[in-house]
Amino acid sequence: MTAQHIASAFDRDLEAIQARIMKMGGLVEDAIREAARALETRDEELALTVRQGDKAIDGLEELINEETARLIALRAPAASDLRLVLSVMKIAVNLERIGDYAKNMAKRTGVLAQGPNISEGTSALRRMAREVERMLKDALDSYIQRDVELARDVIERDRDVDQMYNALFREFLTHMMEDPRNISACMHLHFIAKNTERMGDHVTAIAEQVIYLVTGEKPEEDRKKADTTSTTPQEI
Amino acid sequence: MNDMTVMDKTVETQNIKIAAKDVNVYYGDSHAIKDVNVEIEDNTVTAFIGPSGCGKSTFLRCLNRMNDTIDICRVKGDILLDGEDIYDKRVDPVQLRAKVGMVFQKPNPFPKSIYDNVAYGPRIHGLAKNKAELDEIVEKSLRRGAIWDEVKDRLDAPGTGLSGGQQQRLCIARAVATEPEVLLMDEPCSALDPIATAQVEELIDELRSQYSVVIVTHSMQQAARVSQKTAFFHLGNLVEFGPTGQIFTNPEDPRTESYITGRIG
Repeated sequence: MTAQHIASAFDRDLEAIQARIMKMGGLVEDAIREAARALETRDEELALTVRQGDKAIDGLEELINEETARLIALRAPAASDLRLVLSVMKIAVNLERIGDYAKNMAKRTGVLAQGPNISEGTSALRRMAREVERMLKDALDSYIQRDVELARDVIERDRDVDQMYNALFREFLTHMMEDPRNISACMHLHFIAKNTERMGDHVTAIAEQVIYLVTGEKPEEDRKKADTTSTTPQEI
Repeated sequence: MNDMTVMDKTVETQNIKIAAKDVNVYYGDSHAIKDVNVEIEDNTVTAFIGPSGCGKSTFLRCLNRMNDTIDICRVKGDILLDGEDIYDKRVDPVQLRAKVGMVFQKPNPFPKSIYDNVAYGPRIHGLAKNKAELDEIVEKSLRRGAIWDEVKDRLDAPGTGLSGGQQQRLCIARAVATEPEVLLMDEPCSALDPIATAQVEELIDELRSQYSVVIVTHSMQQAARVSQKTAFFHLGNLVEFGPTGQIFTNPEDPRTESYITGRIG
């Protein structure tokens, strides 16, 4: 729906809210990338910057909530406008959560930098984070371009992230069994891996919102989760 | 558990009360309604929405032959009330209008007492055998119009002396006094303040249990609030007709979308 509203202030409000979502998305993409880089390079200063940057993301979410509430009260949006406002609110929540996970990754980086360097693990985590970051970028692009195909592609790619997590889970188990001195670091790394996998789920949720926004229907639920660690036996 | 969920507005399939088939209406040379097909269900509030001049009021007026009073107006096609053609020569329009009541945009009480306003219809249709019965009908109708408590002590006062909102509810009481089966409302709240509007909307919801209600409204929020089915008219065409919840969240036709989201359509 590209036609303008008769009330042009309505269009300006909607555009303003969407601009905030894009800004928030940009900050979250940066947070993922920088947190993963700090983790791999054991850069505590960069990790601190990421942690501090989360405040701006939270602030934007707050602002988006206020503005959408105001828009609902004043404009009573309907049909595609209503779906837009609803999707904006949900996407803001997903972005905020992803931001929290990035912040948590940065927080653990501070602890990890003191212990043994498990560089295979951190490099793999960075690759995983990079994939999630790309998915997020595509999800946000699909949102702006109302591109359902791209959104479906993003949802599909979450399987890869799940599989990366499965592989890491096994790898960390192996490290811990090899040498108990790795347990503390591997526990932190495992949390980071799990959180990154959760980021992928939130990105998937954003892509699902895009499909709802464009088609008015929730995407069909035939996607199977590829995270199998909850059923992985203790002996491997 | 259920009382915590949003009231389900899904529409169960009801009996068809009014069926319109290939209805065309002309005012002289101008073609006001074009091939409209619609089925209006019993015990359901159906809202007609659309921009000014789209034909929604014209179509509403066809449903109780109010357009008969306009010389240049011609109605083609079939409109069936319980399966019977209301434009059949044997149908008496006065009897029809007792069955299909109407409430107008501006409250229009007769310049008579409150009592006589309501008693008028039952009297001319001979619905009461004696004064006691008539009293009963008047009280029941005023109660159904949600105005009894406000007027019970001054039934002899002129209807025109009431406030606008009270007058409109008096008109609704008058319309239900003849025990109609269908109630047509042409922008019944456009002259009312928000409180009177809320009272009338509450009333419409109550009336639904006994009647089929068709309401023309310019307030889309009102259509969304009171109706279970919504029909969107544009340039004499019935563009889209469906469950209200769907029309307001995910309409199928781009013209409906443009109209309800306030875009130039």
